Amino acid sequence: MKKRLLSVLLSTAMVLTILSGCGGSAETAETAPAEESAPAETTETAEETKEETTETAEATESAEGDLAYTGEITYMHFSTSEEAEGNGGSDAHRTMISEWEAAHPDITLTQEVLANGDYKTQIATYAAADDLPDVFLLQGMNTISWVEQGLVYDMTDVIKNSPYADSYNMDYLVPFTVDNKYYGLPILTGGTCTVIVYDAALWKEAGFDEFPTTWEEVEKAQEYFDTIGIKALGFGNQGQWNLNSCFVSCLGYQYTGTQWFSDILAGTGNASFEDPEFVAALTETQYLFNEAGIFNEDFNAITNEDAREYYIAGDVAAYICGNWDCDYIRVNVDEEKLANTKFAVLPKAADATKYEKFQNIGLGYGFAINAKVAEDPDKLAACIDLGYKLTGPEFAAYVGENYALGGFCAGEFDLSAFSQFQQDFYNFQYVDNKGCEIYDSYVDGSVWGVLNTEMQEMVNGSIDPATVAADTQKAYEAWLGN
Amino acid sequence: MLNAIRPKKRTVIAYLAIPVLLYIFTVFVPLLAALYYSFFNWKGGPKKEFNGLENYMALLSDSTFWASFSHNIYLVVICILGQIGIAFILVLLINSKLSRAKAIHRTFGFFPSTISAVCIGFIWMMIYDYNKGLLNWFLDTIGQHEKTQVWLNNPDLVMFLVSIPLIWQYIGYYMVILLSAVGSIDTEILESAEIDGANEIQKARFITLPLVKNTLLVCITLCIAGNMKAFDNILVMTKGGPGYSSMVMALYGYKVSFEQSNLGYGACISVGIFVLSLAVIGGSQLLMNYIMNDKYDREEAKLQKRIEKERVKKMKERARLEGGKR
Repeated sequence: MKKRLLSVLLSTAMVLTILSGCGGSAETAETAPAEESAPAETTETAEETKEETTETAEATESAEGDLAYTGEITYMHFSTSEEAEGNGGSDAHRTMISEWEAAHPDITLTQEVLANGDYKTQIATYAAADDLPDVFLLQGMNTISWVEQGLVYDMTDVIKNSPYADSYNMDYLVPFTVDNKYYGLPILTGGTCTVIVYDAALWKEAGFDEFPTTWEEVEKAQEYFDTIGIKALGFGNQGQWNLNSCFVSCLGYQYTGTQWFSDILAGTGNASFEDPEFVAALTETQYLFNEAGIFNEDFNAITNEDAREYYIAGDVAAYICGNWDCDYIRVNVDEEKLANTKFAVLPKAADATKYEKFQNIGLGYGFAINAKVAEDPDKLAACIDLGYKLTGPEFAAYVGENYALGGFCAGEFDLSAFSQFQQDFYNFQYVDNKGCEIYDSYVDGSVWGVLNTEMQEMVNGSIDPATVAADTQKAYEAWLGN
Repeated sequence: MLNAIRPKKRTVIAYLAIPVLLYIFTVFVPLLAALYYSFFNWKGGPKKEFNGLENYMALLSDSTFWASFSHNIYLVVICILGQIGIAFILVLLINSKLSRAKAIHRTFGFFPSTISAVCIGFIWMMIYDYNKGLLNWFLDTIGQHEKTQVWLNNPDLVMFLVSIPLIWQYIGYYMVILLSAVGSIDTEILESAEIDGANEIQKARFITLPLVKNTLLVCITLCIAGNMKAFDNILVMTKGGPGYSSMVMALYGYKVSFEQSNLGYGACISVGIFVLSLAVIGGSQLLMNYIMNDKYDREEAKLQKRIEKERVKKMKERARLEGGKR
């Protein structure tokens, strides 16, 4: 009898143990042992990070004063400890989180931290299951569909009534706006998605004191680079999104101007991906990658990180990347190369009629609150307070003073205290050039999925730009129809 | 004595219920859930709209899905030939009298199948790399620089190139299975064949192959099932590119579901993968049974059928005659 009872108990325990593994993420996070700085997935609790940040926390107070809420808040983001080493936005983000935790010891902030690629998949899964964490980072392109699903809390009043409202750069709110309502506090740092990082010494050897302003000149420079066995430009498009985010999203503006993408966003039918201007931008892209011979031949088979290594190794004279690569360059190249490293916008395409010195910049993610949190006003107040902290003046001061970067909230700092490299990059991003939108911060993944995949074939020459444009338009119309 | 230690029927059922329930929970529930969601226009989240068979109609005319399916079939064919074919040859070599250190061959042959597909993908990317890869280095070394290329960016070659790591990884796996089957063949049969003058190829063709045909069938079924759900090493090596050139069904389903947030259609693709996989496995079983039954078996079956037909005919004749007498 005892044996039977024991076997039944053990069996039940086993089944319950296994089934509990399929429970919600919050439970998993609580029970899992916290591992500091795990690269793929990290679960941290307030108690663990509190010790590290006691000193900074003492001087920190919540924006709203004391909070009534005591309990747990779940937060999912992608500022891993690895990414924070060199990435100003991630470092500041983690620092602000630690300070907020220390200032609110009665609130347990349970974080689920994933690398960016994994984060996108995981958060989409949670959204599909209507099981989002209390607070999370909302990607611009998901805003409309997730708002339609009722997943995201309306933060219009939160932003308008913010104690820092006067310091906000309201342009950054566009990706998180639906029907004139705001659904996210733009977070991390405003960074360019398209910058040409070039070795001025190499380009001087090729006969250019500054980076060429036309693509013809780049092709001319390639004649010299051929003699020394390198390519003018490095690029990595294995991930397929790179050509969109870091090239076409900027080159397109040279052909279409700024109104075209605003019309695409409005979805009123005034703009189409089949418009001759956009097709011309795709045609120029195809020519530059497939025929001009100025890029590394394996651009479709390597990642953007690989292209960065080509630049560091001197296999290319310049490479096209986003802001996320620049601090890596600063830390990983020798002094001589660092002194020679400069920044430039995309050169003018010969047949582009709306050319300006465009660089696409924005904050691709917003701090968003799960709509369900509104059921508990105290918890909601705590989440809002966390949002203010992570996007407010303290964050701006941290990224400004330590990295010469800017965020949603304006911050003042002494730019002259930074290295020439950092000053140049600051001016490139925020002063010297005309900002434009990052296409895939908006609209929908179903549209960009088609464009990105087909462009990879297009730059191989196996599909023509008009077909890519037509298929993208079809996906766009399907999305509008939905 | 035996009855005394035999557990009661309900105890046996209770123990068996645990894995059965787990199996139902992990296999059938997701399958039924996918079937359910496939009838909805669902972009994720709590709101979804029933759209009947619309997703299935879209799937039937989705050229990317069918291109992916053809890539899976390509993988299946090339992996059956590569994985099982090479494994069979290696088994014959290892089992030959000339072979030494059989255990070492077995262990090292099996080793690649213990490595994760993601790591295998990265290893082979290093081989195919344009600038630093072994393949282009080798071509350069033998003076064939003009033949170097960006291997994984060649739409005509990319499926073959992503198949090679898959073949390499699983040769050892099938080798171990076939080794155990070949090891169970009575050595007297092989010795008799030798006395009769059969060479190694004849022994393999007429003795070994027919005697391990059931194991071969299992291997082929495993190979088909494995390649119909190919995903991870292709994700690492090409992400289905360039364009859709190396897209396979599971990767397409993943992209539609998570990158395009089209979960209803993604579920429909999953159901499509399930149905097509069953059809391919079923069809291959019939085909293999036909091929593997040798001429003697087929003639024997024909003879039996003819005898049966004659018997029935005679019985009918007898019944007719008896009826006439009355």
